[in-house]
Amino acid sequence: MIETLQFVYAPQIINGLSIGVAVILMALGLTIIFGLLDVINMSHGEFYAAGAFLGLTLIAIGIPFWVCIVLVPAVLFPLGVITEKFLIQKVFNSKDRHILTLLLTFGIAIVLEDLFKIIWGANPSKLDSPIQGAVDLLGVMFPKYRLFLMIFGAVIIFGVWLLIYKTPVGAIIRASAHDRNMAASLGIPVTWVHALTFGFGVSLAGLAGILLAPIYSVFPTMGKDFILMAFSVVIVGGLGSIKGAVVAGLLLTQLQSISSLFISPVWSDPLVFGVMIIVLMFKPSGLYGGLKNG
Amino acid sequence: MDKAGKLAIRAVEVTLFGSALILVVVGSLTGDSFYLRLATEALIFGGLALSVDLLLGIVGLLSLGQALYFGFGAYLSALILKEVYPSFWLAMCLVGICSAALGYAASFIALRSKGVYFALITFGLAQVVAKGVYNTRALGASDGLIGVPVIKLWTPIGNLDTANPAVLFTVVFLVISCLYYFVKYFLTTPMGSIWQGIRSNEHRLSFIGIESTGPKRFAFVIAAIVAGLSGALYPVLRGFVSPELLYFAVSGNAVITVVLGGVGTLVGALFGSVLLTILKSVIGTITAHHHIVIGLIFVFVVIAAPGGLVGWLRKKLNERLEMNRD
Amino acid sequence: MKRRALLLTALISTLFVTGASAQTEPVKVGVVTPLSGVYAGIGQQVRWGLELATREINAAGGINGRRVELIFEDEEANPAVATQKAEKLFQVNRVDFLTGTVSSGSTLAVGQVAERNNRLMATTVSFADSITGDRCSPNVFRVNARAGMQSAALAAWMVKERPNADVFFLGPDYEMGRSTVAAFKAAATARGAKAVGEVFAPLDNKDYSPYFGQIRAAKPSVIYTSVAGNDTVRFFNQMAEYGVNKNVVLVGASGTVTSQNLAAIGKAAEGFVTGAGYSPKLDNPQNRKFVADFQAAYKTLPDLYGADSYGLMYFLKTAAEKAKSVETDKLRVAMRDHEWMTPQGTKRMRAGDHQAMQEMYAVRIEKGDFNIIGRVTPADAIGPDACTRF
Repeated sequence: MIETLQFVYAPQIINGLSIGVAVILMALGLTIIFGLLDVINMSHGEFYAAGAFLGLTLIAIGIPFWVCIVLVPAVLFPLGVITEKFLIQKVFNSKDRHILTLLLTFGIAIVLEDLFKIIWGANPSKLDSPIQGAVDLLGVMFPKYRLFLMIFGAVIIFGVWLLIYKTPVGAIIRASAHDRNMAASLGIPVTWVHALTFGFGVSLAGLAGILLAPIYSVFPTMGKDFILMAFSVVIVGGLGSIKGAVVAGLLLTQLQSISSLFISPVWSDPLVFGVMIIVLMFKPSGLYGGLKNG
Repeated sequence: MDKAGKLAIRAVEVTLFGSALILVVVGSLTGDSFYLRLATEALIFGGLALSVDLLLGIVGLLSLGQALYFGFGAYLSALILKEVYPSFWLAMCLVGICSAALGYAASFIALRSKGVYFALITFGLAQVVAKGVYNTRALGASDGLIGVPVIKLWTPIGNLDTANPAVLFTVVFLVISCLYYFVKYFLTTPMGSIWQGIRSNEHRLSFIGIESTGPKRFAFVIAAIVAGLSGALYPVLRGFVSPELLYFAVSGNAVITVVLGGVGTLVGALFGSVLLTILKSVIGTITAHHHIVIGLIFVFVVIAAPGGLVGWLRKKLNERLEMNRD
Repeated sequence: MKRRALLLTALISTLFVTGASAQTEPVKVGVVTPLSGVYAGIGQQVRWGLELATREINAAGGINGRRVELIFEDEEANPAVATQKAEKLFQVNRVDFLTGTVSSGSTLAVGQVAERNNRLMATTVSFADSITGDRCSPNVFRVNARAGMQSAALAAWMVKERPNADVFFLGPDYEMGRSTVAAFKAAATARGAKAVGEVFAPLDNKDYSPYFGQIRAAKPSVIYTSVAGNDTVRFFNQMAEYGVNKNVVLVGASGTVTSQNLAAIGKAAEGFVTGAGYSPKLDNPQNRKFVADFQAAYKTLPDLYGADSYGLMYFLKTAAEKAKSVETDKLRVAMRDHEWMTPQGTKRMRAGDHQAMQEMYAVRIEKGDFNIIGRVTPADAIGPDACTRF
């Protein structure tokens, strides 16, 4: 019994955790953009890929990995701001905003994916793991880099939560999400808040991209890897809720991880999707709905 | 719909009909095969786009998974024609009925939500089924089903040979036209007004005592039938089906088609399909990077010309009408 | 008098001109291959192999004195697009022959188009057994080795080097992945190996670590896999991450590690063994020249797709010269039981199923090179003729 727990379940749970951190990082940016801008960013996966490709190039010219972890989000931030200000805002004020922003980001995704292929080629590339080797964890070998990921990822997630809920900047963001007009009448430059928040959201995705690249490799269609899972997490957790993204992220990845012990792994994606549908059918606002709600 | 709008739609309808006529005549005389069949394929995918436009442009629901019904219709049609009996009418009837049933069943899952959620659910449904088909040996798995025989179409005036490109094109054109007028007809009924009400402001409808789920379900089923019947034509043209017909790329292309042609105009979907097919063919011969070109055009249209081609035409006609009035 | 002579000369010269132009009208070969999308890397090798051979053939006078012209179209790794482009090539460009398809689905669908247009086509990449097996076509030829031949080569090597091994199987969960695993499992267990576990991961799976517990518990000495492309990159790298590949021999299908993903797999591919129809390290005069020319032209080594595509052009040339024509029925007759020289030595096109017979190799990756560590004769490798259609 203990052995089953140790050698069968424990590794699955730990693995699920490391995948979970990755998914939550993706979902965080998505839910913040959702929650504040009310925009479904179909190109979120492509910004994730952009982070990985950017990291690839920076490392190739000799910049150390640890510097890249800071540089990549820093570069993607203004790119995101520009995208929001010059593309998304153009359709933001129309009557069909929801559909148009969805279609627009869908188009951006197509362009970005092909751009990656043109610049970097269609074949996969490798990003060497900065921490090699594995440790013995409860009798199971576990790569050190994944451990680092889990810890670093948790720190980032906590940091984002702090930013949104405990700082003045965060208050401004939440105010603009809660009531745009009121915030504007209080003197908050709402359109700038939107642009900056979008930039922040996609830079989180880019950070996830470079962090995960050593594990999952880099190639032009990698944006599709996590996107369905990230959307499921955001919906189950509640649009705009960070706590929701974390809880749902952990729950869904654990579900996926442990279910692969009992059912054919091909069905674990549909299973997660099924959970999302059930949540949508019975509690459409998710577990914790809304940016305002923490 | 204002006068300019109606005029724009009529203009495009006439253009399509006229071009089809010319194509058939010239094509038959010159013995062309490729362009007729390419146009046939454009029409078939145009039917799929039509179903997307019904949901998006009329009812206001963006479906990112209409390829599910298209692919379903294609596979069912291929199986019937190959394994049961190579009768066009049999396949079409069965596909029509089964697509309706499938759409009805799926609506219970999809219609529990709206807006973004609806889009994601339809996307996910198509993905799940596509994966299932990809893995099913009985359906040919990843290779699909080849060997659909060339169909001889029964009509009261004799059998039509679908191997003749002009004949097949005419048949498909007639079928798609029927689907088009079928959908257009509903717009003139009370149901059509409810649909448009749902699109403008669903919430308010409940205040005037109109329940929206029934009409939405009805639209969903009609869209499934249209997509399914269009899909059923595919194996008649190409002689095979493959899982790629269910993939997101097909659903996504249909959405692009609708936006290019003009959301909500119905004829825009058909015209957009012809346009996209031509674009892809031309650009594809020039460069391998056609995706980015089409992506950029799409982004441009969404931002600068959200009414698509028909919308642009409508604006121009409006200006002309204004000028004439003064 | 003078005028009549002038007229006559004019008449005769026009006859000559038209006659001559009929002679110099090129032999057109259509190429429907993925130039974009996930298989673009393979399509690129196919393109290079075909172009290199075509240049050589044209420099030596062409086919039956006619220049060879290649016309490319992008199939986007989608059978629906492939059939459309194939039709365009047959009907608008009027090509005499077609090739280039990569996925089995595309090859089968385009084969049907070829039948309906009464032309021949060949594949140089698709390895599904069905193409020259239960779904064979009188208009489709295969120049490359098929899955059964690849398994045979690998199984033969394993019997010699790792007899009675405990083998764990991991494949991508779709028809092709499953059948490749099943075929090798049958070949290996028939020769004394023991199957200690089997798992199928979804296609495009990101994380293989959930399966490592199972693999470790089974304690295999050999792991066989039929994943490909990006999946291989992730599987191998993650195995190295977790130390699962220590003291285990990694073997797999020939599409698992290729020049497209070798760089991304890096060190983790070291020691991987597969059964393949080609290696750039093949040491015979034809291949040495081919590799040198290929590298000079394209600055990279050829892989099996490039080599087989190169070989195809010579297949077409020598068969057309035997038939003295590129007309479909004459060409088909000439191609059956035809033997021709390729970088892999002499190949013979089996008449019964249009499958090329060739020597097969067990290939191991050592320091980034594909070294040959075993051989199987063509007759032993090919397997039975399962085509009953013609």
